[in-house]
Amino acid sequence: MPPEQLALTALVGGLFVLAFGFVASVKNWRTRLPFVGGKRLATDGGHAHGGSHAHKPSGIVRWLTTVDHKDIGILYGTYGVIAFLWGGVAVLIMRIELFTAASTYISPNMYNALLTSHGITMLFLFGTPIIAAFANYFVPLLIGADDMAFPRINAIAFWLLPPGALLIWAGFFTIPLDLAIGPAETSWTMYTPLSVEQVNPGVDLMLLGLHLTGVSATMGAINFIATIFTERGDDVSWANLDIFSWTILTQSGIILFAFPLLGSALIMLLLDRNFGTTFFAVEGGGPILWQHLFWFFGHPEVYILVLPMMGLVSWILPKFAGRKLFGFKFVVYSTLAIGVLSFGVWAHHMFGSGIDPRIRASFMATSLAIAIPSAVKTFNWITTLWNGNVRLTTPMLFCIGFISNFVLGGITGVFLASVPVNYLLHETYYVVGHFHYVVMGMIAFAGFGAIYYWFPIVTGRMYNRTLAKAHFWLSMIGVNITFFAMLLAGYFEMPRRYATYEFNPSLAPLAEITLLHQAMTVGALIITVGTVLWLVNIVWSWKKGGEVTDPDPWDTKEYGLHGREFAWFEQQLAATDGGETEIDGEVATDGGETLGDE
Amino acid sequence: MSVETDDGHGHGDSHHLPAVEDWPKGFGEASWWPFIAALGGGGFYVGAALFILGRGTEPMLNPMIGPLVFVLSTVAFLTGLYGWLYHAFIVDFWEGEADSYGFPLKLTMLLFLGTEVATFGGGFVYYFFVRAGAWENLPAIVTEGEVLSTLVIANTLVLIASSVTMHYAHHALLKGDRKRFVRLLGTTFGLGLVFLAGQVYEYYEFIFHYGFGITDGAYGTAFYGLTGLHGLHVALGAVLLAIVFVRALYGHYSPEKHVSISTVSMYWHFVDVVWVFLVVVLYAGAIV
Repeated sequence: MPPEQLALTALVGGLFVLAFGFVASVKNWRTRLPFVGGKRLATDGGHAHGGSHAHKPSGIVRWLTTVDHKDIGILYGTYGVIAFLWGGVAVLIMRIELFTAASTYISPNMYNALLTSHGITMLFLFGTPIIAAFANYFVPLLIGADDMAFPRINAIAFWLLPPGALLIWAGFFTIPLDLAIGPAETSWTMYTPLSVEQVNPGVDLMLLGLHLTGVSATMGAINFIATIFTERGDDVSWANLDIFSWTILTQSGIILFAFPLLGSALIMLLLDRNFGTTFFAVEGGGPILWQHLFWFFGHPEVYILVLPMMGLVSWILPKFAGRKLFGFKFVVYSTLAIGVLSFGVWAHHMFGSGIDPRIRASFMATSLAIAIPSAVKTFNWITTLWNGNVRLTTPMLFCIGFISNFVLGGITGVFLASVPVNYLLHETYYVVGHFHYVVMGMIAFAGFGAIYYWFPIVTGRMYNRTLAKAHFWLSMIGVNITFFAMLLAGYFEMPRRYATYEFNPSLAPLAEITLLHQAMTVGALIITVGTVLWLVNIVWSWKKGGEVTDPDPWDTKEYGLHGREFAWFEQQLAATDGGETEIDGEVATDGGETLGDE
Repeated sequence: MSVETDDGHGHGDSHHLPAVEDWPKGFGEASWWPFIAALGGGGFYVGAALFILGRGTEPMLNPMIGPLVFVLSTVAFLTGLYGWLYHAFIVDFWEGEADSYGFPLKLTMLLFLGTEVATFGGGFVYYFFVRAGAWENLPAIVTEGEVLSTLVIANTLVLIASSVTMHYAHHALLKGDRKRFVRLLGTTFGLGLVFLAGQVYEYYEFIFHYGFGITDGAYGTAFYGLTGLHGLHVALGAVLLAIVFVRALYGHYSPEKHVSISTVSMYWHFVDVVWVFLVVVLYAGAIV
C-alpha cells in the first residue's frame, strides 16, 4: 500500500480520536459512569445553566436518549464540526499537493477521492447539519416554543446521520484493510456515465450514505415547518416572527422538494450501477437526465445552505449596529423570492452541456433575476449599519466579513449566469473561486459568527476575545487570498478538478498559474491556522472560560434589541442563581462582560 | 417511512415534558425509542451496502450477511417505531389532547406528501424523457398494446373503491356509527391487500409469460421503477391501515378523536391519485 494512503488513514483516525475526545471532555462525560440510565442527576450533566433538572439521565445515556431540542442541537453541532475538520483536512492535502505542478505527494486517484469527499462532506455532512444545530437550539427559543413539534422525530433525524457519514467515508476506512473498496472518485456532482461505470463499490456505499442523510434532512425540514407553524408562543405572530425563523422556514420548504428528488435520483443511480437499469444510460434517460435531476436538487441546495446563514447575519448584525434590521419586511420577501426562484435556475450549471439554446436563454434570465433579491438583502444590511453605533465584536466582524465576501461571491455569480461568459469560465477555477466565496466566505463565516454570538447561552461561558479576533482576521485574509487567486487563475483558464497542472508551456502561462496556486495554498494554510485557533478557543473556553453572569452579555438591552433567546437565558440564570448576581466586569471591547480568568 | 408522528404536547405546566412515558422511565426528556428506530433505519442502509458487497462473481463477503443485517435492522426499526408510537399515542389515548393536536399532525402529513411528489417526480421525469425521446426498443407488451390489460383496469377500480370506502369509514366515525366505521375500515384494508396481490400477479405474468423484466429496455426500467415505487407505498399504506384497524378493533377513535384516521386517509387518497396518474401515463400513455 502506498505510504501516503497509510499516512492519510492515520491522519483521519487521529482526527476522529481528537474529535471524540473533544466531545467527551466538554460535556463532562467522565464525571459520571456511563450506562447508568436509571439514575437521576441533580444537575444538568455539566451544563452550566440547565433549567431542566433531573429530566434527563446521566452520563452518555443522556446523549443517546435525549429528545431535548437543545441537546440535539449540540449533537448536530458536534457532528458538523467533526465533518468540517475532515473536509478541511481533505482540502488541505489537496492544496499542499497543488503547490507544485507535478503529482508529488498523493496519486491523482487519491486527489480525486479527496476532491469528492471534500465536496460531499462540506455540503451534506457539515453545511446542512450545522444549520440544523443552530435551528434546533434556537428556533424553539426564538418563537417561544417548549420544544420542536416532534421531539422524537428530531432525535431520529439526528441519529440517522452518523451511519450516513460512516457509509459516505467508508471507502477511506477500508484503505488499510486492502479490500477492493476504495473511496469514490465521482466528484460531488456524481455525473453519469462516470459514476455508473466506476466499478468501485465505495461509490455504492457513498450513494447509500447520501440517501440516508437526505432522509434525515427531510425529516428535520418537516419538523421545522410544523414547529414554526404550530408551536409559536401566544405573542409570536407571523408579523413579528424573527428573521432567522423565517429563513429556516423557507429553507425547510426548499428541502421538502429538493432532497426527496435527490433521493430518487440516487436510487436510480444505484439501480443503474447494480441492476442493469437504463435510467441514465444512453438508450434510456441519458447522462443529461442525471444533470437535470441533480441540479434541480443541487442549485436549491445552495440556498438551503445560504438562506439560514443570511438569517443569522440579519439577526446578529443589528445587535451590534444598535439599530433594528432595516427593511425587515423586504428581507423576508427577498428570502421567499430566493426560495421560489431557487427551483428555476438549475440549468445554468449545464450551459456547456449542449442543451437547447432557448432553454439556456431562459435560465440565464432567471439566474440573473436572483441578483435582485440578493442585492435587496445586501443593501438592507449596509443600510442597517448606516449611522448605527457599530461595535466590532467578533460576531459582528464575521457578519461584516460575510457581507464583504457576499459582494465578491455574488457578483462573480452574475457574470457566470451570463451564457457567453459562462462558456469561457465555467470549467475553470473562476467557478471554484465564486462558490467558495459563498460557501466558505459566507456560510462558514456566518456559522462562526453565530457560534461566538450564542456561545454564552450554550456554554454559560465567554470565549477568549483575542483568539477570536485573530481567528476572524486570519480567516478573512486567508479566504480572500485563496479565493481571489482562484478567480484570477480562472481568467488564465486554469481548468478546475485537475490533480496536476503540467501544461504545455506554449499554450499556458505556467509561471502565473504556478504563482497563483502557491498563493492559494498559502491562503489555505492561513485559514487552517485561524480554524485551529477557533477550535482551541471553543474547547478551552467551554471548559475554562469566564462564566457569564450577565443576562445581557452583548449589551443589547439599551438599544431595545434584546432577543428572545437571551430573555430565555436570563430566566435560566435567575433559576440557577436564585436571583441577581450580576457582577460588572471590565467594560469589554468585545461587548462581553465576563468573570474570571479570561 | 411513516410520518404519523409523536404527540409530545401539552401536560399543562409551563414547560411540558415531551417523553414522560418513554423508557427509560421517569425523566421526561429522554427516550430510547428514537435511537433504536434510527439504529434500525441506518441498519437498512448498512444492510443494503453489505448486500451490494456480497454480489457479483467475486463477492467480498457472504451474500447472506447483507439480508441478515437488513432483517435485524427491521426488528430494531419496528421496535423503536412501536415503542415511540405506543408511548406517544396509545398509552395516553383518551386523556391526551389528540384532537387539538390534530392540526400539526395533518400539516405534517401534508408536508410528507409534498416530499412524496418530489420522490415520484424523479421517476416520472425519467419516463417523460424516454417517452418524449427516442421511444425505441419497445417490448412486445407495448407494441402489441397488451400492457393495459383487464387486470390493471380491475386493479385500478379496486384501489379507487378502497379510497371511497376509506372516505365513508371516516364519515361513519364522525357520525358516531362505530360498527360501520370498523367494517368499512376493514374493507379498505382488504381492498388494499387485493390490489397488492393483483400487482404481484401482474409482475408474475409479465416476467414469466411475456418475458418482460426490469432490464428490458428503457420502458422496462420505467415500468418496474415506477410501479415498484408505488407498490412500496401501497404496502406502507396497508401497514398504516392495519395499525388503525387494529386500534379501531380495540375501541380507539371517536367522533372527537380521529386524527390518525385523517392522516392515514390523506396518505391513502394520495397513493390512489398517484396510481391513477401512473395508469394514465405509464400504461395508457405507452400505447397511444
